[in-house]
Amino acid sequence: MDYILNVTGFILEGAKVTGQLYLITAVFSVLLGIMCAIGKISRFRLLRIIIGFYTWVFRGTPLLLQLFFTYYGLPVLGITLEPFQAAAITFIINYAAYFTEIFRAGIESIGKGQYEAARVLGLNYRQTMFRIIIPQTVRRVLPPVSNEAINLVKDSALVSVIGMTDLLRAARQVLNRDFTITPFIIAAILYLLISSVIVNVFRKLEERFSIYE
Amino acid sequence: MYMLEAINIKKNFNKLEVLKGVSLQVRQGEVISIIGPSGSGKSTFLRCLIGLEAIDDGFVKIKGKEVNTYRDGCTEMGMVFQQFNLFPHKTVLENIIEAPLVVKKMEKEGAIEIAEELLEKVGLLDKRDVYPSRLSGGQQQRVAIARALAMQPDIMLFDEPTSSLDPELVGEVLEVIKDLALEKITMLVVTHEMGFAREVSDRVVFMDEGEVLADTTPEEIFLQPEHARIKAFLDKVF
Repeated sequence: MDYILNVTGFILEGAKVTGQLYLITAVFSVLLGIMCAIGKISRFRLLRIIIGFYTWVFRGTPLLLQLFFTYYGLPVLGITLEPFQAAAITFIINYAAYFTEIFRAGIESIGKGQYEAARVLGLNYRQTMFRIIIPQTVRRVLPPVSNEAINLVKDSALVSVIGMTDLLRAARQVLNRDFTITPFIIAAILYLLISSVIVNVFRKLEERFSIYE
Repeated sequence: MYMLEAINIKKNFNKLEVLKGVSLQVRQGEVISIIGPSGSGKSTFLRCLIGLEAIDDGFVKIKGKEVNTYRDGCTEMGMVFQQFNLFPHKTVLENIIEAPLVVKKMEKEGAIEIAEELLEKVGLLDKRDVYPSRLSGGQQQRVAIARALAMQPDIMLFDEPTSSLDPELVGEVLEVIKDLALEKITMLVVTHEMGFAREVSDRVVFMDEGEVLADTTPEEIFLQPEHARIKAFLDKVF
């Protein structure tokens, strides 16, 4: 029992890194995703093309490859990043690409009657988007966003390949030392716990946003 | 001086001529019904007036001043849609105070006061804090009318306000519009409710194939229509 508590304590140290990466990615990729989604439906063609190219590249190549590129590739160009910085930047940009498309689809699912009603009341484009359209898309994009939120928990394990001691790598270090699979079981339970919390948060959010439906 | 003037409005959708030069003069306090067969351009005409569609030719004047409502928007006019278009994520009250707060930068208390008066007027004060999805179509449309009135427009446009309502709900919405007519609010009402047009309007405009065929009193149009196409239309709807 002592052994399990001991190992769990060590793995939790790794989980802290995972948690930090998770939060930073969640916050900034959602913000970047909203901005790019608005850009993608704007009337500026060049902007739409650039954002389209961005989502095409980042959704179309493996996250692991992107991570390698940021960590091992950028130093060639003279940009050297700490593992955590490299991981955070890669994850934010990668997840924002998915969020861009999710939010864009959500925004486009709002009928044109809402835009017209806002317009004849005198709201400008900005007010219409931020007060009328985007709040309505929140409810609609919650299910796909919830999927991404769970994926992110698991994708975060990829950072062990650039030398970060996250939850999974901490578990593996114990395994290498003690030759027992217990740390992997503990790691699996921790991942499940984190995922369950996230699923529940999203369930609550969906309940809250469905009051008007 | 006219409250609203439309002069030779033309509108094409691709090759299709929807409005072939429509002119209309509206005096302060006048209630005008626009009737005619589907596809005659009635709704498009309203949408051009308020700037939801760009016009290809002609111009719009409000109180004698030429305006480009498509480019600049138009706060002198309010509009009520066939599909209500309430904001589903906002309560009845929030729907009504949204534009006064955001566009007119009104104080919240003042906006709520106006909203409650309007809700009283349309008979829905008890629904103040309810979301639109909990309301019947007729109630939603009455809220939509209150929402448009909250901006205190000089002219109200109604685009088939009862066409998507169940028959038993049409009456309550028409009652509200009739009350507004009594208050001498300037109104343009595109409608298929001939009884309403006849009873409430000062003038009835008959449109067909993008043109105004008649612009006259309700008596004249309903009792002695001089145009064969108007006669045919009225025979069909009555």
